Amino acid sequence: MTDTFAIASRDELWLRGMLVESRLMHGVATQRGDVIEASDARDDELVRACDSATEKTRAAMASFRDARVRIVVRATNDGDVETTMTIAVDGVSVVTMPSDALADYELLHRPRNGAAPLRGAIVWHNGSAAVLLHEAFGHASEHDAAPVAWPSWLSIEAPLASRRETFRDVPLTRMTRLVARQTDAPFALPDERIEVQLVAGGGYDPMTDIVTVDVAVSSAGPFTIRHSRTEIAASLTGASGEPIRYPGVICSREGQELYVASHAPVMITDGLI
Amino acid sequence: MTEVYRKFGRVVRYENGIVISVSEAGEAFEKDGVFQARPAVEEPAQTRVSVPHPDPELAAFVAETQTNVAQTLLSVRSGRIERLIASAGTAKHETNGSKWTEESRRVHISLVNPPLRALIDLASFDVETVATIADALARAGVERDAPKRLRLAPNVSAALLPSLIGELAMEQSGGGFDGRGRPIDTRAVTHDPPPNWYRPGYAVRPVRAWLNIRALPFGRIDPDAPAGIALLEPVHGTSLRVLCVDGDAVFPTTVDASHIAAVSRAEPVWYPYAAGSFGAEMML
Repeated sequence: MTDTFAIASRDELWLRGMLVESRLMHGVATQRGDVIEASDARDDELVRACDSATEKTRAAMASFRDARVRIVVRATNDGDVETTMTIAVDGVSVVTMPSDALADYELLHRPRNGAAPLRGAIVWHNGSAAVLLHEAFGHASEHDAAPVAWPSWLSIEAPLASRRETFRDVPLTRMTRLVARQTDAPFALPDERIEVQLVAGGGYDPMTDIVTVDVAVSSAGPFTIRHSRTEIAASLTGASGEPIRYPGVICSREGQELYVASHAPVMITDGLI
Repeated sequence: MTEVYRKFGRVVRYENGIVISVSEAGEAFEKDGVFQARPAVEEPAQTRVSVPHPDPELAAFVAETQTNVAQTLLSVRSGRIERLIASAGTAKHETNGSKWTEESRRVHISLVNPPLRALIDLASFDVETVATIADALARAGVERDAPKRLRLAPNVSAALLPSLIGELAMEQSGGGFDGRGRPIDTRAVTHDPPPNWYRPGYAVRPVRAWLNIRALPFGRIDPDAPAGIALLEPVHGTSLRVLCVDGDAVFPTTVDASHIAAVSRAEPVWYPYAAGSFGAEMML
């Protein structure tokens, strides 16, 4: 059986409204069994789709005068044209789509880190619990990890698909998105709590089953949590409302960076710090 | 506009059971302060690279790699391979009036014996080194304090060397061309800005870097000292987490490697760390 993957992508870096780097990439990979033949063959239609989406996104660059913005547009032969914008201000970043870029850029300018003591429960705002679950549920699923006991009120949708970043890469089983939902979850805000707004990154180690999440902006400033999946599942004590889009997860595995849409309600964990 | 850099190449990579062959031709330049990179589209990459016809080359690489993988698997019977990536590539470069051809080989293996993971990066299959590490990893006990004197294996010292630039007497090994087509001369490595440029791929903006660095030999290596034979984590500054062999004991340990007491006079081996690093036995 033959499987063909074709892609064109534009990758641009803008600093304070000025273009500083621009890359075009295109190629085709054809897989037969365990062998993939790939070259930088050009599919004009994909390149045109890419350029068109890039042009529309460039129009917004003037709005981000104090930011570092990376635009990545990927057009693939499955008909998908995906535009992501990574916007960084003062070392804190969000990953967003053009339609949400201005709102997420403003999020970066809201009051920043507080100096609350690093103790108590954690309240995950802005859908940031999706990052915790991305690592603890999504990546664990990719690695076929043993199940752990999640709260009965929590359901997580994290479909897997064969994905790759470029024509040069071997496709891997990866998450396409993660959406966490709550049904009749308890929700009692503890007096002593840390409010998390933005997350810098995270990781899951399939060998040790340990999840690491680096918090970028919270009422207690930046901090890192590092726990087993079992401990994280047991720490979930409540949630409220509908899933909220978290501004971004660029997921890197085996050096391949892919966008994963991430949504979660406001959630509470206890016992992680 | 700066001089255009062009690269035409082909790489064949074995990645956890899949073989991928990639041919491409690309170019990069700077115009009005903007770095730009794009495929060179006027003709397919394969026709401009004087490498053997893809099919026989691919078949030869696959056969050779399968043999190496089989030997590696046999050599690590006592452990588990988490990741095995091997590649072989040929690339032609053109820029600044220089043209040169490079051949490259890389092997990355991670071996696991939970909760330990040994990271091995080589420029060719070295089954003996892999087997030695796998055997020790299988016998590893619990974490211990670092021994007072520790001997670092070449595959470990090579990973450390870029962190010691300006702190340890070392030189850039001459030969070939850098990412801007300039000759690479042998010269002392210092804190000063490096004279050469590193360009790991055509779509990457070149940066100044010391290339193919090697520590100058001095002092005496104690062959009976405990040995750090493998990295258990990527190097963080001069902090190393290594798999240590001390007689019959094998254990993980973390050591500060900022002070080097000796560098072996044996012929160093090139490893794919940073912009190239030669490993030789070192004493802490």
